[in-house]
Amino acid sequence: MTSSEDTDWIHIQDSPEFVELKRRLRRFVFPMTLAFLGWYLLYVVLADYAHGFMATKVVGNINIGLVFGLLQFASTFLITFLYVRHADRKLDPLADELRERLEGDRR
Amino acid sequence: MELNAWAMAGILLVGLATFSIGFRSSRLANTTQDFLVARRTVRSRRNAAAISGEYLSAASFLGIAGLVLKDGADALWYPIGFTAGYLLLMLFVAAPLRRSGAYTLPDFCEARLGSAGMRKLAAVFVIFIGILYLVPQLQGAGLTIHQVLPGAPVWVGAAVVSGVVFVNVFGGGMRAITVVQAFQYWLKLFAIAAPTFVMVALFFGDGGVRGAGVTGLTDPMPPRFPADVVITVETPVVLTVTEPVTLTATGGRVDGALGGRVYWGAGQHTVGEGTELRFTAGSPVPVVQGAPPDNLSWLRPVSGAGDLFTTYSLIVALFLGTMGLPHVLVRFYTNPDGRAARRTTLHVLMLLGLFYLFPIMLGALSRLYVPELLVTGKTDAAVLALPMKIAPGLLGEILGAVTAAGAFAAFLSTSSGLVVSVAGVLSTDVFKGKVRDFRFATFIAVAVPFVIAWSLRPTDITLSVGLSFALAASTFCPLLLLGIWWRKITWVGAAAGMLLGGGLVLAALVANIVSGYTGGWAPAFFQQPALVTVPAAFLAVLIMSKATQSQLPLDANRIRMRMHAPDRLGFIRDRDIARFGAAEDRARLANGRHRR
Repeated sequence: MTSSEDTDWIHIQDSPEFVELKRRLRRFVFPMTLAFLGWYLLYVVLADYAHGFMATKVVGNINIGLVFGLLQFASTFLITFLYVRHADRKLDPLADELRERLEGDRR
Repeated sequence: MELNAWAMAGILLVGLATFSIGFRSSRLANTTQDFLVARRTVRSRRNAAAISGEYLSAASFLGIAGLVLKDGADALWYPIGFTAGYLLLMLFVAAPLRRSGAYTLPDFCEARLGSAGMRKLAAVFVIFIGILYLVPQLQGAGLTIHQVLPGAPVWVGAAVVSGVVFVNVFGGGMRAITVVQAFQYWLKLFAIAAPTFVMVALFFGDGGVRGAGVTGLTDPMPPRFPADVVITVETPVVLTVTEPVTLTATGGRVDGALGGRVYWGAGQHTVGEGTELRFTAGSPVPVVQGAPPDNLSWLRPVSGAGDLFTTYSLIVALFLGTMGLPHVLVRFYTNPDGRAARRTTLHVLMLLGLFYLFPIMLGALSRLYVPELLVTGKTDAAVLALPMKIAPGLLGEILGAVTAAGAFAAFLSTSSGLVVSVAGVLSTDVFKGKVRDFRFATFIAVAVPFVIAWSLRPTDITLSVGLSFALAASTFCPLLLLGIWWRKITWVGAAAGMLLGGGLVLAALVANIVSGYTGGWAPAFFQQPALVTVPAAFLAVLIMSKATQSQLPLDANRIRMRMHAPDRLGFIRDRDIARFGAAEDRARLANGRHRR
């Protein structure tokens, strides 16, 4: 790695765009993970201690427990989809902008 | 069951196809140009199929259905965890690790922590995890061969898979080439989906549950045998009976006495080795100790406080373990950029989700048609045994052949990926890294799991795989998460965490094996200790790092910056590689040995 690259990077690291980029990533990833883990753990607790609630019939033999169980699967897909969309819309354009500037500087 | 010639033919065909595709594509991909072309045209969809192909192992193909048959709703955590682990891998690890320039876990340890000793330690755990994951694959193969060729001892299947994998990796044929792995995914999907469609159609054609004259899956009663049945108990079991049942036992001991006509009241009953049990149609089914005895509790998730611990433990192991599996991480490098890597993950989740629908359905059908597996406890055979029960005759034989062939595809693809990873680490970090050593390493990587699989009594495939996830979650997960997201990690802290977490899991594993031979004294959480071991490992890393801040690597800031710079920003050098491709990189990617 050359030293000019290093200098460029320290320069970039302090730029407001880069700080904003990191903030956008963290603001999405960390709360989403907490929500996601919380949701799984909650399901297990409900299944164990709230039999009555979970056994509430929705339609025919389908009870709330089953619906929530299916939603567990669905939520994994949903979060992945949201993350892909967030990264495409909010992260990549800013990263492109930063890159343009870096390459411009270099020329 | 008698010899199923169709199944033998199917297995042979899968073995040959794996051979020939492996050899042909490795010959095709020998020139630099091919690597470059492959690099530019691997689209996220095909790459996703390749990742899924390598990921879907014996646990997915046989184990999930078996566990659904035995444990019901609780077993659904496995497919949920197998997929959700990928989400965490993508959110926290995949992109920074890719940008760090490290291709394998030992690479990462060395680069991030600046310690060659950590590299060795990581290599040791990669090998442990690989072997722990290989053993159930080989045991699954043994089970499959035993099912289609009842005369064959269990080690035959393990020997066949070991042999095919060894020759393939040895000859350089089975490289982790995208096309081969993608083909494996579609093969496995077909092999499980097509029989499921036919069997579900037959089930409803027979009039569903009423037609089969068995207990409905939501009734608070035990399942019933749909026909007269003779069950041979090969390993001693303890059975739980909830509804009294009369049976005939011959050839072995039942509840300590010689057999004959036996009446079993509600409670626990022991059956000795080599006993033949005869039940008449409509009798309630006794189930192995620990499994839910009736269909209502089978359908209900989590039934008891002990279960709460086990369930949480399992969730922790599966969610956090995926990122520590050596053969999974490498695959993410075949994406050209971060955007493609994200799309790949999305596709992987869809492909895995699609696949897992079928074993779940087969598991539920097995509870109706092959409840005798609940008596022997060998529920992993459910997918293989079900076709002949639903459709006796030619159709059943053909369906059985398709599932057996698919199972073999699963053993072969996962084992090959694992053997390549383990042999790569063995030859670069343990031996000197010459070609002859790579061949010797391959031999070791195949032979050791084979000996273990042959000498140990098989347990449920999924449980063993769950334990290797626990090992990965207790060693590499803290290292990766903290290494990427925490500034202050030192090599001392990382080593402490790895040794503590890994040591605890291995101790639980040994205790489990010993307990299995000496009366089953080990508590249930020894089978899935992640809820204790993972936090312990995290704490050890945190505390020991704090205590040894003088050991911070000098270039930590530069490496962290490199990892967290946005993906497409990249370093100029990396981008040039992405644009023009570097032949050596592709070659390294293709044979799984990665040195910087």
